[in-house]
Formats: sequence, C-alpha cells, structure tokens
Amino acid sequence: MRRWIAVWARRAAIGLVIAWSLFPVYWALNTSLMTNEEAQSTPTHFLVTHPIFANYQAIFGAGPQAPAAAGGITRSLVNIVVESGGATLLTLVIAILGAYAFARLRFRLKNLFFYTVLGTLTLPVYATLIPLYRIMSEVGLVNTYLGIILVYASGFMPLAMWIMYNVFLALPPSIEEAAVIDGASMLQTFYRVALPIARPGIAATAIITFLLGWGQFIFPLVLSSTGSTQPLTVVLASLEGRHIVPYTIVNAAAIVAIAIPAVLVFVLNRWIVEGIIAGSVK
Amino acid sequence: MVAPLLVFILALALYPTVLTTIDAFMHIDALTPPNHFAGFGNFTAIFSNPEIRQSFENTGWYVLFGVMLTLVLGTAFGLLLQRRFRGRGVVLAIVILPWALPGVVEGVIWSWIYDPTFGVLNSVLKSLHLLSQYQLFIGTRQIESILLTSLVQVWQITPLATLLVLASLQSIPGEVYEAARVDGAGWWQVIRRITLPLIRPGLAIAAVEALVLSLNIFDQVYVLNAGATTASSVMSVTYFTTFQGLNFGQGYALSLLATVVTVALSLGALKVLYRKVTF
Repeated sequence: MRRWIAVWARRAAIGLVIAWSLFPVYWALNTSLMTNEEAQSTPTHFLVTHPIFANYQAIFGAGPQAPAAAGGITRSLVNIVVESGGATLLTLVIAILGAYAFARLRFRLKNLFFYTVLGTLTLPVYATLIPLYRIMSEVGLVNTYLGIILVYASGFMPLAMWIMYNVFLALPPSIEEAAVIDGASMLQTFYRVALPIARPGIAATAIITFLLGWGQFIFPLVLSSTGSTQPLTVVLASLEGRHIVPYTIVNAAAIVAIAIPAVLVFVLNRWIVEGIIAGSVK
Repeated sequence: MVAPLLVFILALALYPTVLTTIDAFMHIDALTPPNHFAGFGNFTAIFSNPEIRQSFENTGWYVLFGVMLTLVLGTAFGLLLQRRFRGRGVVLAIVILPWALPGVVEGVIWSWIYDPTFGVLNSVLKSLHLLSQYQLFIGTRQIESILLTSLVQVWQITPLATLLVLASLQSIPGEVYEAARVDGAGWWQVIRRITLPLIRPGLAIAAVEALVLSLNIFDQVYVLNAGATTASSVMSVTYFTTFQGLNFGQGYALSLLATVVTVALSLGALKVLYRKVTF
C-alpha cells in the first residue's frame, strides 16, 4: 500500500513538472487558435472549441485581420533565420579553429590568449552594449545583417570555443598522431581526422549557438531600428507593446517564434543536453 | 589558427569594455563633441536619481527570487527525474523546452496569462475564490510585480539548474546510497545528509548562472513592465536611460557599475560555493 502511494505520488509530481513546463506554451497555442471573442469570453475556454487559423493567416498577411497584424512578421522571420544562422556559421568556423589550436598546438602566449578569450565569458551584456552600438553606427553597420551577425558571433565565440576545446581534449590524440606519422600535415590532420570525429560535439555547439542567436533581444533592439533587419523577437515585442493588435494574433506570432526552437528541442535534445553540460561544468 | 578568434574578442569584446570603462567617467553629449572628463559626475548623477536607485533595489529582489526559486525547483526536478522510467527522454525534452525559447517570447505569452481583464491566472484564482475580483498583477505593487516577472525568468532558467543537478547526481556512486540504507537512513535523511552535499558543485554552478542571469534580467522586464519604475531592473534602466533618454554618460556609468558587480559577484560566489567533492 505504501509503495503504491509512493509510485502515484511520483507520477503526480512528474505530471506537475510537465504542466509547469508546458502550460504557458499550450496556453499560447490554445489562444492562437481562437477568435478574439472566444479568447475574451468568460468562463475561460481551456480547450478551444472550434480551432481557426485566421490568426496565422493574418500574421502572414492574408485574411480580413491582416492589416491589424501588419508588423512585417514574414520579413522578421527571414531576418531571424539569416541572423542566427549566419552568426552560428561564423561562430563555429572561428571558434573551432581557435579551440583546436588551444587543445592541440603549442605556441607563444597560449595561456594568456586562452584565458583572455575565456575571461570574456564572464562579461555581462552591459559591458559592451553601448560601445558596440556606437562602433556599429560609426562604421555604418546599424540596420545591416553583417552588423548584427558580427556582434552575435563575438558574443557567442567564447562559449563555443570552450565547448569545442573540451570536445577536442576528450578525443584520443593517438588517432591524430597516427595521421602525422603517415605524413599528414597539421592542417590535413585537423581537417581530415580531427573534424570528422568531433562531429557530435560540433553539432551540439551549433545547436546551442543557433538557439542563443534565436533568443537575442537587446542587441537587435538597439542595432536595428527598421523592419529590414529586425528579428522576430523584436517585432513580436513591439506587436505586443502597441496594445492594439488582438492577443489572439500576438499569441499566433509567439507560437511562430517558438516553433523552430521547440522542434530542435524535441528532435535534438540529446545534443542540447550535452552542449549545456559541456558549456557550464568542467 | 587562433588569430581570427583573438581579433574578434579584442575588437568586439575587450575594446568595447575598455570604452565603457573610460566613457563612464566622461561627460558625453552627442551634439557637442569632443567629450570631456567628468570625474565621478555620472556616478553621483545616477545615485541621486530616485528612479535609478529604485532599480538597484528591484534588481536585489530579482536576484533573491531568481536564485532561490531556480535552485529549489531545479533540485526538486532533478531529484524527481533522476531514476529511469518509461518516457523519461520525452519528459526531459519537455523540461528543457522553456530554456530554448527566447525570453521575449516568454514574456509575451506570460503577459497574456497575467492579463488584468482576460488572463487565465485571474480566471483560475477567481474560480478558486482566492480573488474576489480581477487584479492588475504587474504594475501596482512592487514586490508582487517583481516576483511575477522573476517567475517568467525562473521558468526559463530552471532547466539549466535541473540539468546541472542531474549531471551531478549521476556522478554519485550507488554504493553510497546502499550504505546509507543499510545504516537505516530515511529518504529525507538521505537527501539532506548525502545527496545535497554531494551535488554541491552542480548547485554552485547553477547558483552562479542564476545569479548572473537575474542580475541582468531585461527581456521579461521590457515586455511585462516596459519603462515603469515598479519592476524596473538595472538593465532596463540602463537601456531606457541610454537609448530612450539619450543620456549616454549615465548609461555608461550604470553599465560599468553593473559589469563590475556582475563579474565580482560571480567570481566570489563561485569561490565560496564551489568546494571540490571527492569520494
């Protein structure tokens, strides 16, 4: 009997954890499928009765409600993909090169360089926000993809380097040594031997970096004043802040912003867990 | 091979940090350059501004709520999900989900939950007779506004603490538990005397991450509180002072202050909390 209670108490507790993690997302999804009247009626509709897709059509510029949502959401979706994707590519290439050098090569001032890069991990957003804005406006990179990608990449590089550094350290050096004995140059060893076996680590770093880019807000808020480069996060916040767009539409836009990270979490969660742990412990 | 990395770090992280440090002591007027030295002028200005002082106090609350709630929930979730069961992989993915979503989007979906006229929180609390009428949750009472805004961030960062707790739990050898059971320890004693002390390094890292993230809370505040003083944070005040008020000098001073406090607190906390555990 006591065992039975313990088993069900555990199940109930796990149910609570699931509810806590999912309810806000469920609630946004539920609201996004309602008419505005249904969303505002009492008692609250905990499950939408007649799901509609008008809110989603509206944010992509179709249907009668489209003008209310005219916030350039389609464009901002393109922007967020370009910016987080571009930053991920740039971060990976540069961080992987650096991480491999720190893990495998010997050179002068290595420790100084290593701790300089790692030290910037502790710098908060404040440290660089205003100067980066001023630098970017002086060189004319405000409201450009390049400006945003450069700023993102510089922010993500220390973490990506740290994860990849640990990935390379964990690889058995004997495989690379064998390649060197077979006459491969350092670059060939890196490119042909080390990179392929480090692939799972690279995937984890790429996903974490991409999610970091997708979640950015204050930097793109400051660095992009027009719809041409504003990512979905910035456009969504202004949609919500204007208080004239119906909440059903705002929630539909929120679900669009959630969709890609959510798919990544459910399909690739093993790598995400590895990346998070590798990035914070050790 | 490290040159590109170093160029990026020097040009876009260290150089800007140096600029922040210098410009915090400058009087900056975009219309009448060059800037001139202002000593501690910017700092006295921010400390004599009651709205900015309020944001210091608010941020203290954000840190308190953020660190405590994240650690409690993260430990509870970690202990609960430690043992294998069917469907554990899916449950773990669900638990990670809030971590992977943008803070702004979370602010937006929670602001609908907190909505004063149609929000589900009001509706549920009223039907449970915990409220007599619908409330404006964020914007009137300081502590309540901060707690509810902080909760949105806690929702986002608890997965991080959960994963760190799970990772440290896995490193505890099973014999330790067996020995305790043989000695007749109950489950609470096992948790208090064995599990918690042994997962301390994981908890320490989780605490420092929660500390840094809550010290820097911005996205949730921007959406739920906008520019109001009620639940402002140092980061939100810095943003509004600099980019809405165009007071760059005070913005720099706030930034430098916050940077120094963040770096010092996180290094200090790590040092106090992180004691190596060996078996």
